[in-house]
Amino acid sequence: MGFWDKLANLDRRWIYLSVAISVIFPMLFVIKFPVEISPEARQLYNAVESLPDSSVVFLTFDYYPSTLAETEPMSIAALNQMFRKNMKVITMTTIPLGGPSIAERVTRMVAEKYNKVYGVDYVNLGYKANYVAVLKGMGSSIESIYPSDNRGTPLKDLPLMNKVKNYNDIKFIYVVADNAIVDYWISIVNAQYKTPVGAGMTAVMAPKMYPFVQAGQLTGLLGGMKGAAEYEELVGVKGTAIRGMDAQSLVHLLIIGFVILGNISYFVTRKKTGPGVMK
Amino acid sequence: MTLVEQLQIWLGAFLVLSLFSFLYKDNPFYKFAEHIFAGLSAGYYIGLIWQNVIIQQLIDPMFDQGRWWLVFPGLLGLLMFARFFPKWSWISRISLAFIMGNTAGVFLISQLHGIVLPQTVATMLSLDPRNGFGTVLLALIVVCGVISTLVYFYFSKEHKGILGGTAKVGIWFIMISFGAHFGYTVMARISLLIGQVRFLMFDWGGSIKQLF
Repeated sequence: MGFWDKLANLDRRWIYLSVAISVIFPMLFVIKFPVEISPEARQLYNAVESLPDSSVVFLTFDYYPSTLAETEPMSIAALNQMFRKNMKVITMTTIPLGGPSIAERVTRMVAEKYNKVYGVDYVNLGYKANYVAVLKGMGSSIESIYPSDNRGTPLKDLPLMNKVKNYNDIKFIYVVADNAIVDYWISIVNAQYKTPVGAGMTAVMAPKMYPFVQAGQLTGLLGGMKGAAEYEELVGVKGTAIRGMDAQSLVHLLIIGFVILGNISYFVTRKKTGPGVMK
Repeated sequence: MTLVEQLQIWLGAFLVLSLFSFLYKDNPFYKFAEHIFAGLSAGYYIGLIWQNVIIQQLIDPMFDQGRWWLVFPGLLGLLMFARFFPKWSWISRISLAFIMGNTAGVFLISQLHGIVLPQTVATMLSLDPRNGFGTVLLALIVVCGVISTLVYFYFSKEHKGILGGTAKVGIWFIMISFGAHFGYTVMARISLLIGQVRFLMFDWGGSIKQLF
């Protein structure tokens, strides 16, 4: 059996092992691949930066714990930018599993850094079922959908929420999501209430969102860990996304190599055995 | 790091390694972690819905705030349980009909005004050469991509002649789009791996260091 035949029948566990090594190596020895800022990430950053200080903004935590590596750095960087501008931040989630507690933990962690007070500078509304009803209902009254916050405090007892009735009082909606909820933020909230929406998405979801950026329905877009690293770079936060990009880039190079080798191996072995018989 | 935090990290690391062990081959550790995840998710979800929906949005408003009319959506919800009894399962269709009608109404408006019309408008791009060569070229690519892809999905006439040629161009656009999606999917999956490896190396590793 020649080299190409061996390669064509390579046990997939060798590939897993090489991917694992490529992920671990840059974590032990920093390479520092450059992170280029995309126009979409800059657009999102500028949109938040151009808002007047002390504006009330929405930040959503529409993601499951399984995608934390991509989405959490976006939330942390966004909160840093918002609190640095003394913005009033209202957080919420449409994800039941983990969403409310992630929002609580991340917001509290960044708020402590800027000495922000719960109820005055930020509020976590938590989770409510049926996202379509939630998104539509908040257009008329946030309190009708969320009578109390994530901690069970009635909204009327929170000074920040006394100033906010519905989307008219929100200057910007910053969605961080790992699912198709962004479609609804665009089609229900942006289209019907004209509140600007920007999004940070997992890489799986990002390609679907570019037409919305081109159409002006989304004000900026972050795609996956790369997008998170770009935002960390813009905000000036050295977070986990920037540190993860070395491993990301190295594994991408490895996969490109595998794709090229796999194709060469396919064509070489096909010549010998005929088309469509590769195992 | 407290003892409880240590325990959380060790439990997390054990479950992550159990799930990763599937990459070698299927085994009881993987099955154990998988079943724990399914069971925990179901239990957590039931508790959350009970508190956030049944208590906060039905029971409390009805009894504490006197919003008695919420008894009607409550009843519609209860009717859904008729599906468990074959003889009475038809009753659940009343609730389903309400959900379908409501959903169709909400989505018709939001999809038309939020997606179809703005996206159609965004396709009508200016080809004015004064906008610069690059802008015109991109506008042409968008217009060609949209038209040829739509033609590919037009099945009422055989794809021959001009129609066939345009449909072939459409396939190219679809393939390039699939390629972009695949590239992004690879990036997403690797990101998740990086997240878990970071947890094992730094959180779990740090915890081991602290112990010994």
